Amino acid sequence: MMSQLVIRRIGIGIILLWVVSVLIFALTQVLPGDAAQIRLGQQATPETLAALRKELGLDIPWYMQYVVWMGNLLSGNLGISAAGGATIESLIGNRIGNTVFMTGIVALISIPLSVTLGLLAAMFPGQLLDRIITTGTLGLIAVPDFFVAIFLILLLAVSLGLVPAVSYLSGTEGFWKSVYVLALPIATLVIVVSAQMIRMTRAGILNVMGSPYIEMAILKGVPRKRIILRHALLNAIGPIVNVIALNLAYLVSGVVVIETIFAYPGLAKLMVDGVQTRDIPLVQACGMIFCCTYVILILVADIASILSNPRLRHPK
Amino acid sequence: MSDTTAAAGQSPNPDIYDELPDAPPKSRLRLSMVGKVSVVIVAFWVLLALIGPLIAPYGESHFIEDDVLGNPIDDPSFMLPDMGLHVYFGTDYIGRDVFSRIVWGARTTIGISFIATLLAYFVGITLGIAAAVAGKWTDAILSRLVDAILAFPNIMLGLIIIAAFGSSIPLLIFLAGLVYAASVFRIARALGQDIMVQDYVEAARARGEGLWWVISREVLPNAAMPLATDFGLRLVFVILFISSLSFLGLGVQPPISDWGSMVRENLQGLGNGIGGGALASITPALAIASLTIAINLIVDDISAQAGGSLAKKMN
Amino acid sequence: MTINRPGDLDFNDLSVMDRETVKSALRRGATRREVMGYLMASGATIAAAGSIVTGASEALAATPKKGGQIRFAWDVHGPSDTLDPILFTSSLDYGRGRLNYNNLCRLKEDLTVGPELATEWEANADVTEWTFKLRQGVEWHDGSKFTADDVIYTMSRHLGKESLSKAKVLVASISEWKKVDDYTVKAIMAEPNAELPIILGTFHFKVVKNGTTDFQNPIGTGPYKLAEFKPGVRSVHNRNDNYWNTDHEGPYVEQFEAFGITDNVARVNALLSGDIQMMAQLDPKAASQVEASETAEVFAVPSGAYPTISCMLDKEPGNNPDFVKGLKHLQRRDRILKVVQQGLGSVGNDQPVGPAYGADWCQAANDPVTHPYDPDKAKHHLKKSGVAGAELHAAEIAPGMTDICLMLQRECSKVGFNLQIKKVPNDGYWGAVWMKKPMNVSSWNMRPSANIMMTLAYKGDAPWNESRWKNDRFDKLLGMARAELDPAKRAEMNCEAQKLCSEGAGSLTPTHRAYVDAKSKKVKGFPRVPLAAFGGMEWPEFIWLDA
Repeated sequence: MMSQLVIRRIGIGIILLWVVSVLIFALTQVLPGDAAQIRLGQQATPETLAALRKELGLDIPWYMQYVVWMGNLLSGNLGISAAGGATIESLIGNRIGNTVFMTGIVALISIPLSVTLGLLAAMFPGQLLDRIITTGTLGLIAVPDFFVAIFLILLLAVSLGLVPAVSYLSGTEGFWKSVYVLALPIATLVIVVSAQMIRMTRAGILNVMGSPYIEMAILKGVPRKRIILRHALLNAIGPIVNVIALNLAYLVSGVVVIETIFAYPGLAKLMVDGVQTRDIPLVQACGMIFCCTYVILILVADIASILSNPRLRHPK
Repeated sequence: MSDTTAAAGQSPNPDIYDELPDAPPKSRLRLSMVGKVSVVIVAFWVLLALIGPLIAPYGESHFIEDDVLGNPIDDPSFMLPDMGLHVYFGTDYIGRDVFSRIVWGARTTIGISFIATLLAYFVGITLGIAAAVAGKWTDAILSRLVDAILAFPNIMLGLIIIAAFGSSIPLLIFLAGLVYAASVFRIARALGQDIMVQDYVEAARARGEGLWWVISREVLPNAAMPLATDFGLRLVFVILFISSLSFLGLGVQPPISDWGSMVRENLQGLGNGIGGGALASITPALAIASLTIAINLIVDDISAQAGGSLAKKMN
Repeated sequence: MTINRPGDLDFNDLSVMDRETVKSALRRGATRREVMGYLMASGATIAAAGSIVTGASEALAATPKKGGQIRFAWDVHGPSDTLDPILFTSSLDYGRGRLNYNNLCRLKEDLTVGPELATEWEANADVTEWTFKLRQGVEWHDGSKFTADDVIYTMSRHLGKESLSKAKVLVASISEWKKVDDYTVKAIMAEPNAELPIILGTFHFKVVKNGTTDFQNPIGTGPYKLAEFKPGVRSVHNRNDNYWNTDHEGPYVEQFEAFGITDNVARVNALLSGDIQMMAQLDPKAASQVEASETAEVFAVPSGAYPTISCMLDKEPGNNPDFVKGLKHLQRRDRILKVVQQGLGSVGNDQPVGPAYGADWCQAANDPVTHPYDPDKAKHHLKKSGVAGAELHAAEIAPGMTDICLMLQRECSKVGFNLQIKKVPNDGYWGAVWMKKPMNVSSWNMRPSANIMMTLAYKGDAPWNESRWKNDRFDKLLGMARAELDPAKRAEMNCEAQKLCSEGAGSLTPTHRAYVDAKSKKVKGFPRVPLAAFGGMEWPEFIWLDA
């Protein structure tokens, strides 16, 4: 049963990746201008444009470009950057490491934090603690992340000098030094993603609290704390894991503002650079990485919710 | 959710149940104190969005310093002041009245986010319910398309579409609508599937009621409340999405004022302190925060009373 | 003391007496803040005053020290970062190029040329052949000898139809480079050009080793050896202790690390917190924030670089002379200079040459400006033109570009003219909008001479003649000036050309901007060449860190 479900999910994931590859390719085709034009910029002349297009392989028709790309992709070759001539692997290489590192640290901090705060809020709904947590988290998601980031930089880096203002790793730092250097973007991202996870944890638990069997437990006189920890949390795992997965996907692909402000070389900024320089192979590679991440995370979340939910575990 | 409500209705001891946050719906909405304050705040901003241009002291692209503050060229010590007699929150980085721009920006920001969220709901619910009701191939195709949109980072989608068509307010609304319609689709589809297998729906269909009757009389009313509780959060995401685009220079374009881009374009002033232009960035940030917090507190209030939240249906 | 023009922001622009006043005040122990206060009371902006005091402190500075590490952050970077000189785009590329390579000739602060890899050069009588004697004893980073073959290889990459060089327009008149012997090369030209040595001093003509095709990890003859290069991430450069230049003790700094922080606000904060020691492209609005800090200071060099609005004269509505004239009269040039550029620049006169060009700038033709701010005249011309409204396509391709457009729009609405601004993204701008939409914006760096600048952007048949202005007399003047070796006669031709351009071309050029950067107070010894950010990127072998 389980394995069938998982195989089906993986099948869907593969179809999804193909849909995404077509979508990415289609979108990159509507982009005005090409890498040659962007690279030469103001200094372009028809002659240099033609020469550079030839060099970059932009003079072949679009359907051939798709075929070439898919061929390369299936043989594990991501191609050559149209913007600078480096291989895509070399551009992406350590940025994947950087992105995974930052995502990992943020997840390690924010997931336990959010679940704890969400639980606390759900234990005392409507009371002061709950109000503080819900309003506080709302306040934090309601402000643009760049405002939060610059505010933290001004306060902690410029005024107090506690942590660096740029999170720029040379690759030789040890683990704790890296965490120190990344302190500000980590703090900003923890604030940004925790807010939503706290809200969803609270909502998920309160939702389960309304179901008939919890009601039974209440009627039987089981203490509220015990109900929440024993029964409600377990049953709310599905939606909570889902929100965590969505937030992790966001941390991998959507943190372009934070990467820009802290000059942290991660994947999201690379993708934005790729779009802006019309570096189609790079955009396609990043797009595929992001979508794979999303598909895998959602798959894991699905499996987790199936495992945690008896009704799904044993479908009728 | 319907089953919750139904179960609660039979509860032998309603007093105990009342202590829970997800109490069954009351016949009449009674807002808490916080809820009432929130309504006032939202009403204030909406009113401002409607009549703002009538009460704004200056136009949104009006450079004021030659009118009221003297000519900077003649005065070597001239610095753009933050607090002036006629400018409540000072001037922005280029000499426009921050207060007036916030008032004008209310219209843009609230307008874009409301229309985009409504669009997302309209499209998402229509397709989501359609997918749930039709099932099979319609469902499979729609779901994969929506998954593809969700798998695609929002910013990437925004970047490419804006690069292709140029940034304009209708395009921003379309873009935000598209991105969030995908999330609404998932919720609506899940709710729809849930409701379609309920006994009362099956009974109605057995009675020979048409599909349309079932959707409009049974599915939509039962899905309405869970969908509504998500509205406030979705609205915040639209505002933040547009301000992220502003960060990349792709959001609402000058000289039109919008809160997110105001925060962005005056960010430099934050380092100069209150006397040096920080207010031009802080006040629009506060405006965004007050509006979105208030909307969400109202939604929290309503959903706490209506019982149930939508978390279960999220995915 | 009086500050004459808003462009007076360099210590060296002050009269000798004023310079001494500032220096002696500092020597007496006056603080930076005190001297700046004094300067600002005399009419300098805060940034100008800061820059002047920086110059004065440097003039006082002690002897350079060796050692230390410097991290610098640039505004533009990405996967397109390159170490291939013919493709250099950003000032980060220029900086890396100057660390790694050398030119044949070096452009000096006064824009004359001095020797670098070439020791001397001379032209034949009709200036159609230039002969360069090369420096002997120079070694590449791998220890091999620098010879004429390297120069021939480098220069040939700029020639021919297939060349990808961004600067090939500048050397289009060269038909061939010839090796005379191992240390002599000769350029053969189809038409005379007296400015070839100047052109060869610019960024795209860095000399690469014969046969180099892979620019991921290229060697050079420059003051620093490349240790690491990751496009869009960073580069590391270690001191070349075997550097050929023995005129000074440099290079001084042990190691440079270059990377990009694209966000303006974040870049300033990184400098203020001490995480970096140099940053390019300071937003003029942040000048006061930098000046208020204990550790950092503004570094501004007046230049001829300019943002401009072009009305294409071959399209509606730019083909209507009254329309263009009307708009030219609506530019509040000093106001833009003050508000948008915070005084860091000089007033422009709708032609590309500004006071920073020194002798090339013609005061008689440009001061006062041809089209002063005059709403009445503007109204008259716009009415006469019959044009009801216009659309201006703008992108933030230079700092403050959008703001300049907004200020023009504001003035237009005051006289009842409807100027719509269509803001478009930066990426793709040059290909899709520039020289295509009837009204668009553009931005130019300063070039080493007025003639090069005017030829690039205004000559009738120039590919980048952005306003499509054609004036036979102007074109003729440019050619005559290029072949003219008498400075007085050249100046006369220059004056006439600038006047014609200011009157007739479709450009609205309200200001020239200074290159405004910022650095730690501890980094000293910068040359001030006005051709690019940070003193023309000439700093690598000269600056040092005062520990």
